[in-house]
Parts: sequence; structure tokens; C-alpha cells
Amino acid sequence: MFSNASHNSRLTPVEPVAGGTEVIARISEMIADLRADDVDLLKAFHRIQHEFGFVPPEAVPLLAGQFRTTPAIIYGTIDFYSEIRTAPPAETTVEWCSGPACLLKGSMNIRRVLEAVLECQMNRASPDGRFGLRLVQCDGTCHVAPLVRLEGRYIGPLSISETVEFARRLVGPEEQGAASHGNGTGGAGRPAPQEATSVE
Amino acid sequence: MTLTTYQDLRAKADEVWARVASPPRTLIRVVDTTCSRVVGAAETLERLRQEVQARGLDADVMPTGCLGLCFAEPMVEITRPAGQSVLYQKVTADKVPSLVDQSLRDDGIARDMALASSGSQAASGIPALDSLEFWRGQVRRLMANCGVTDPDSIDHFIARGGYEGLTRALRMKPVDVIQEVKNSGLWGRGGAAFSTGLKWEFLLNAKREPKYLICNADEGDPGSFVNRNLMESDPQLLVEGMIIGGFATDADMGYVYIRDEYPVPVERMTGAVEQAREKGLLGKGILGSNFDFELEVVRGAGSYVCGDETGLLSSLEDRRGMPKIKPPFPAQAGVFAMPSNINNVESYTNVPLIMRHGADWWASMGSEKHKGTKMFSLSGQIQRVGILEVPLGTPTSEVVMRMGGGPPEGRSLKGIQPGGPLSGVIPANDVHIPLEPDPYRERGVLMGSGGLVILDDTNCIVDLCVYFEWFAEDESCGRCTTCFAGTRRMLEILRRISSGRGRLADLELIKLLGRIAQNANCFHGQGAPTAVVSMFRFFEDELLEHVERKRCPAKVCRGLVRYEVVHQSERLPAAEAICPTNAVVRDNGHYRIDQLKCIKCDACREQAPYAIELVDEFAPA
Repeated sequence: MFSNASHNSRLTPVEPVAGGTEVIARISEMIADLRADDVDLLKAFHRIQHEFGFVPPEAVPLLAGQFRTTPAIIYGTIDFYSEIRTAPPAETTVEWCSGPACLLKGSMNIRRVLEAVLECQMNRASPDGRFGLRLVQCDGTCHVAPLVRLEGRYIGPLSISETVEFARRLVGPEEQGAASHGNGTGGAGRPAPQEATSVE
Repeated sequence: MTLTTYQDLRAKADEVWARVASPPRTLIRVVDTTCSRVVGAAETLERLRQEVQARGLDADVMPTGCLGLCFAEPMVEITRPAGQSVLYQKVTADKVPSLVDQSLRDDGIARDMALASSGSQAASGIPALDSLEFWRGQVRRLMANCGVTDPDSIDHFIARGGYEGLTRALRMKPVDVIQEVKNSGLWGRGGAAFSTGLKWEFLLNAKREPKYLICNADEGDPGSFVNRNLMESDPQLLVEGMIIGGFATDADMGYVYIRDEYPVPVERMTGAVEQAREKGLLGKGILGSNFDFELEVVRGAGSYVCGDETGLLSSLEDRRGMPKIKPPFPAQAGVFAMPSNINNVESYTNVPLIMRHGADWWASMGSEKHKGTKMFSLSGQIQRVGILEVPLGTPTSEVVMRMGGGPPEGRSLKGIQPGGPLSGVIPANDVHIPLEPDPYRERGVLMGSGGLVILDDTNCIVDLCVYFEWFAEDESCGRCTTCFAGTRRMLEILRRISSGRGRLADLELIKLLGRIAQNANCFHGQGAPTAVVSMFRFFEDELLEHVERKRCPAKVCRGLVRYEVVHQSERLPAAEAICPTNAVVRDNGHYRIDQLKCIKCDACREQAPYAIELVDEFAPA
């Protein structure tokens, strides 16, 4: 009933999505005022992602209907943009800056530590789904390079030791207990990171 | 519709501005932009407001834009009614009570936090702002309002001369406005360096309607953040520039396409557009003329090639942001196949200044061939990370070594990446060349959009090229095989070299790929090998060292180094504790590194720098 049959391609049949009707209703409402050829599709992605944390598969046929195109075009567009996600984010996602200023100051070492301690690969979640690592592009906050972001907070400049402790704190006390007998922070005379100490 | 005249707007604005320009009571300005929020400016602002209220102080607190001194954020400026004004650095929220205690009592100064004196009256013992190395030599035209006005106040902007240029333009014919822009010699600041006036003429001469004017604010070059700073510190300047551009080209609609990574500029620009509309500066019959223009802010979604002008057009058309094939050029068939013009933020924001002060004034700065000023951001291995504005033609060394302070103490400059991953790298002994396109082009490098990233002797050129090629490959749109497959092959070869499996034949393969890439459709593919080509040109010895001797002189390439315990020391238990993979192991009381477990993250060496050393993996014993 939610007009997902109104897209105009007969080559790409649309299967009704087996998602919750509630999700479908919410998305339909969210995009009702948007239209094709009015620079609205990115706006639709942002609205949906803001609401759900990602763009659920139910959205694809609905967007195809609203924007009078095919699900293939819609999905292809979603897929093109690195900030639009098609899977729900992990419980805790650490964002790792891939920019050159961070790189020159040792961000690859930070990445190795995060991948090892959080047990996840870049842009994937850990096996238990608790942690995610996400690669983000430089936003010009290079005065705190090398940096990571956690829930919108910037943490940097980070030494490698500080990164290890930050990641261990995230993972939790039980794992931390095994490895925390050594004296931790303060590498070779680096300034303390702005926020690393306040992260639980 | 109300007929607003510029005089009405100005009169009201002057009234509002007077309270800032010559404050009747103490004025506290807090830099509130992305770079300062990152280090806690929002909390500082909130705390200052609380303190002023709780103590019943006779003071106003106002957010302002960024002065470009990122290294000193969060910054606070306190201006006294008598004219004394002091800039304070690194004022985090916890330092606010101390700042208020010291500086608001009888013209006191919080000396431990004071950075510079910026008022009409000198503050004793505090250096003047324009005597700071970072500031001396700057010509702040685009940035004139940055850190001075409230970015969310259109009145501040108008009182400081904003919309004067538009008023003058509206009294002229569009062709004359274009002529004025041409006379100034302004060229596109996004990297291509094409004449802005000429580009506008193409759009004016296009026959079909509606016409679109688009601002490319998708500042995707990592390490460039000048456009971000301008949009969040003085958003109205861009609005005015686009309205003038719209008038000059007879455009109907404008879009400002801002990358998703820039939430503060999106918010500020959206607010600025709304305020301009309320004042009758956008919409129908702008300032009583018969010129109509609308502006909309569009938020991108994370794609580098949307910073290519035709990629941006595809993105606006609700499709994958893949660059189009030219011709047709945007002026003939741009967004929605209608005539369009695309310029960079800095190109548009120069136009109000040209129209306000005239082309001659504008062209009085700069080098012989390249007029005007240009903003540059400094990042990487440099003491003062920040944003500055200098006349074109200023020696690169002046900006990097003197104003930026050069690499950290005890290190030496290795090279400079002037503007984005596709721009290449110049070596340290070319640091004297003027900051303008030609000298860079002669060296096979592009000046690009102005994000200077500084390398020092701890950095490896091969490692950096791996990054650049990874970036080019990751962001390739996938249209041209030369690009999406070419960058992938290039990345494979470079990774092979950096892991110690490089062979001499690889050097020829890289060169071949570099030549093939020139056949790509858009600049992304064509520019992808620039960095690698400049590596061959300027850093060949270092590259050959990797290939022939399997050695990374800077000890960065992961496959060419390993960690070893070279001394036993009391710091080793700390190294053992910090190691995330338990690779620091103890056998019979002696420590060693378990090479199979080691991920080469450097944490142990931070803890025990004397005991643990980074050694060449393939060094002769």
C-alpha cells in the first residue's frame, strides 16, 4: 500500500520488503515532501540516517517511488557515498581519521592498536558487535592530530600508549585487568591528550 | 514585499555593530568554530556566560569566527571599553574562573594565558597581534571579519561593509560587472586557476533558462580547511559573492554544496541564507532591483570526486557523483542539463571585495601574474597549525618556515604537499619558490586549493605515496579503467615496495601507469599519479633505497622494519604491559619481541625508548 510499486521501471521488479510496516510508514512520512529533480535525494538519505542510524533496506523501494526512478539507481547512489551506511552501526564506534596530517604523525600505528584491542577491522564491527571502527576523512582539525573521535568528541593528539589505554578502557574492566599492571601513560614527553582521560 | 534599501539596512546594522566596535562595557569574544570546538570552545563559551551571570559582571559574551590560529584554540578576546583588547590562548573551561578573576578586575590581564594585544590601546608587556610571527606578513582581506564579527549576525557583516559591493553591482549592467571581475584578474581558487570573469561570461551568454550558479564547497582535499574556516567565520561573504555572481550571469538559482564532514559550515551557511532572505537580499526584487535570485545549501554525503565540478553536478542530480564527460561544458549543459557555473568558495568570496573596492584596489596585492590574496592552511609536521591569508607570490618558505614555525624542534623539513593528494610534493630545497601556480607547475606539482601539508625527516615518501594512491583508488568513481584499475595497480606496486618485495621492474611499471592515467576522463584519474611522479623526480634516492636495498631510511614502512630489544632496562615491564598483542615477552628474565605477534605499533618503544629499537628488517647482520 505504500506506493513502492509506482516506480517507472518495468525491468526491475520491486519485491515488497519484508520489513516492519512501521519502518515503512515512518520513512514514507519522512520523505513525503521531497521530490525528484530538486536536489532532494541527499536530504532524504540524511533524514533517514538521522532517524535510524543507517538507511534500512526498506527505504530503497520507497525512495525509488518518491524520486520516480529505480531501486538500482537509488541503491547505487546510497552505495556511492561513504557517509551513508546500509547497516546499523556497532554499539560503540571509534572513528579514525585517515588524513595526511594524522598519517605523518603516526595514525597508522593508532589504527593497528585499535584493530588489535577492539578486535575489529576498519569499517567492520567486532565479532560480538560491540565495537566498530570507521574510517573518516580529514575535517581540518589537524591541530589535534593524530586523532580519533568517539561519539562526536575529538581525542588527540594521541600517543600510541594513550591509544592502547583508551581502547582498553572501552573494552572494559575484565579484559583490562589482565594487562593493566604496568604504569601506563606518558610516552616520550608528549602533551597530554585533550580528552583521553575523561573517557570511561 | 518590503522595499528595502541598502541605506536602511546599513543604518540598523551600524547601530548593532557600535556595541561591538566601541563596547560600552567589557566585551568577551569566544572563537566558536570547528577547530576551537574540538578542544572545548563550546564549554568555554558556556562557562564564561555562567561566570559573568553568577558574578553579576558588567560584560557581554559573544561567539565569533576563527582567526586562523588553530594552535592556540580555544581563544578568548577580552575588549575593555577604554580600548584595551587582549587575546587569550588555550582557554579551556577549567581556566575560565582564573581568566575572569585576573582579567576582569580593574583592567587586569591574565598573563599566563595572554597571547597578544589586539586593541587600539597597547596592553603593557603583551606583544601586539601583528608582531606575532604567524600574523606578520598576512594580508587579511577575505578573513577581515574572521574573529571580529559574530558569524550569525548579518548586521555585523553589513556594518563592516558587507553588501556594499552588491549594491554597486546592482547599479551596473551584468556585462560591466563581469568586466570588472575580469579586470581584477581573479582566477578560480579551487585549483584549476581559470579566469572567473571569463567563466561567468560563458554562463551569461548561454541562451537557455533557468541558469544555475553553484558553489563548490566540497573541500575534499585532506589537509585543506580554508573554505571551512571562511564559511563558518563569515558566511555572509559567500552569500554576497553568489548573489553578485547570480546578477552578473543572469542566473536564477544558486546551490552551495558543502561536504558532509563540515556540519558547522552547513549550519552557519543555512542560517546566513535565511537571514539574507529576511533582509530582502535574496528572493524577488533584491534591494529594490528587478533581479530575482534564490540560494539553497546542500549537504553532501562523503565523496571526494563530488569536488570535481561535473561530479558535483551529478550529485545535485540525485545520482552517483560521477564526473561527466566534457563537452558539453557546464555553461552549456550543467545541472539538470541547464546552463550552470561552478566556482570555489574563495573565488566567490573575492568578488564582493572587488565590487566594493574596485578591481584596481583588489589587484594591488599579489605577484605580477597572479593578483590578490590567497588563504592557506598549514598542517602536518609544523609548529603552528592554522590558517592564514597572504598575497599570491609570497615565498613558500616565508609561510611555512617563518609564519608556521617550520617542523618541530630538532627536525628538518623534508617536503611540502601544497594542495591535496593529487597535487604532488615539492622537496625541501624548493621551499623558497613563490606561492603561485606557475613555479609549482614547472616542478610538475599543483598548487591546488591551498592546504599545505608539511613533511619532516621522520616521514617516508614511499609511505606517503601509498597513502595518496590509496586515497585516489578509494575515491575513484569507477568510470574509467585507467583510473579505477590504474590506481589499484599503482597501489599494489607501492605496497609491494613498502613491504620489501619491490623489484626494479616496478619502477618502469609505475612510470607506465603514470602515463596511462593521463587518459582518464576527469582530473581525479589524471592527477592520481602526480605524487608518485614527483617522488621519482625529487626523492628517487629514497625510493631506490626501498627497492634495491629493502631499507626505509625514515624507518616508517612496516615491512622493512622490526622492533628489537637491544638493552635490558627497567622500563621493559611497562613496555610488556602496554603491548596490545603481548609481543613483548620475558624468557628467563630477559625480554625479547615475539616477531609473530608484533603488529609494529610502536607502543613499547614509547615506554622503553632506550631498550627497544626500530631496526632494518633486511639489514646485513
